[in-house]
Amino acid sequence: MSAVQVGSWRAVGLRVGAISRRQWYVALRSPHRLFDLTVWPLVDAFLFGSLAVFFQQAAGGAAARTGAGYLLAGIVLWHVVYQAQISVATGVLEETWSRNLLSLLVTPVRELEFVAGVALFGLLKLAVGVGVVAAVAAGMYAFDITDLGLGLVPVVVILLAAGWAIALVVVGMVLRFGTGAEVLAWGILFAILPLSGVFYPLDALPAVVRPVASILPTTHAFAVARALVEGRPMPWGQLGVAALTTLGALAAGLAFVAWMLRVFRRRGYITRYM
Amino acid sequence: MNDVLVARCLVKDYRRGRAVDGVDLTVRRGERVALLGPNGAGKTTTLLMCLGVVTPDAGTIDIAGHRLPGGRSQAMSRVGFTAGYLPLPEQLRVREYLRMYAQLYALADPEAQATAGLERFGIAHLAGAKGTELSSGQKTLIGIVKSTMHEPDLLVLDEPTASLDPDVALRVRTGLERLCADHGTALLVTSHNMLEVERIAERVVFLSRGRVVADDSPARVASRFGRGDLEGVFLRLAEEVASEPDLAGEVTAGVRT
Repeated sequence: MSAVQVGSWRAVGLRVGAISRRQWYVALRSPHRLFDLTVWPLVDAFLFGSLAVFFQQAAGGAAARTGAGYLLAGIVLWHVVYQAQISVATGVLEETWSRNLLSLLVTPVRELEFVAGVALFGLLKLAVGVGVVAAVAAGMYAFDITDLGLGLVPVVVILLAAGWAIALVVVGMVLRFGTGAEVLAWGILFAILPLSGVFYPLDALPAVVRPVASILPTTHAFAVARALVEGRPMPWGQLGVAALTTLGALAAGLAFVAWMLRVFRRRGYITRYM
Repeated sequence: MNDVLVARCLVKDYRRGRAVDGVDLTVRRGERVALLGPNGAGKTTTLLMCLGVVTPDAGTIDIAGHRLPGGRSQAMSRVGFTAGYLPLPEQLRVREYLRMYAQLYALADPEAQATAGLERFGIAHLAGAKGTELSSGQKTLIGIVKSTMHEPDLLVLDEPTASLDPDVALRVRTGLERLCADHGTALLVTSHNMLEVERIAERVVFLSRGRVVADDSPARVASRFGRGDLEGVFLRLAEEVASEPDLAGEVTAGVRT
């Protein structure tokens, strides 16, 4: 028997690859899990696409066209957050559902390697899910998201990282509170969505919730996206705020999940999954 | 280095009380040790602490020279673990499952190691089966293959033969004995099947109320407790713990040091 040095980069690559491959098999052989990749993106694309068409027909004019752009760009980009978050959160949950968590914890795989493996395969799921929404928007509602230009790239990267940060919080909550917290894997996004101004400017929110909304990285990323929809120049200041708040959210998410993992080990919560 | 597992003065408190109270446990290279005790004795908590999954409140654990928790990843690369109660993930075929774990152990040729592992236990024909298509005994065997592919220094088996018929249990025992003899793998096993333990273990460590109350060969432990076999010791401990609150403290005098 020959093995690669445990701490070497090649061993890290093997372990991350093993986790990604495992996620691939889960996606391939659990058709119901494909709902997140196909059905919900289709539902959202038709729902918001049709709303956009209705507003354009009812109101007409440049403002209505901009509003329709907000809706369609918003739903395509929201699915970046959604797919990034859901793929990491359910990827970790999968190991609790299949009672594989204990076996994994007793291998050399490190926590970050595990999350990296899940997130890596999540990129493929994200490409499929977002691709479905973007294709419907382009094919059925004549809205091509790539028309927003290269400015879209940093926005997508920021939303991807924000989705991962939210997922880390969900994973931390599941480690601490067990299966009861699983509902957050889907539910937490329902709280983030309206506060992020995905479809409207921050001013449209009630004044009382604006301070909360303004600290979310997604709020600033979607503000940048709306500027691109309106054809305005890239608001670099807002993009910088979005990037900084996202880095802060990622750091907070990592710190939170590390803390919850220590609690998980100290209180012996693994017995929930044996 | 002769000791593959050295646990010293392990203590673990849960809200319901003290689960493990000053346990010392040493397993030497190639040694076959059984960790025994009635329900609630602290076996599982001790095992989980030794595997780095539960953090002890006090005490130290070294595996193959790596101290937990800092050296967890290095230590786990030298440990194999499976439990009779753990299922195989439904979505994976046996060869995919084994390949995944071979990669997690960073084996240079995961496919070959998986095949060799299946052949060692005479179950190469199960390579293409899914977890849902296997009997509980076959799942246990696959779990043992998974945990031995990387030829660990320490193999930890929690209730490994609970769901096996005598024929398969014999195959498991033979495979494990060969592994220990060929590679110097040490075995730490828990079981409620005392007959099975007498067949496989050279040394038994009895826990009761979170403390080690006996640590010696099966025959000596049985004789020390005035019983003919380990089942008699187990029953006596279970009965006495129920009636004598301080039994654990009284019989600790018999612990091997």
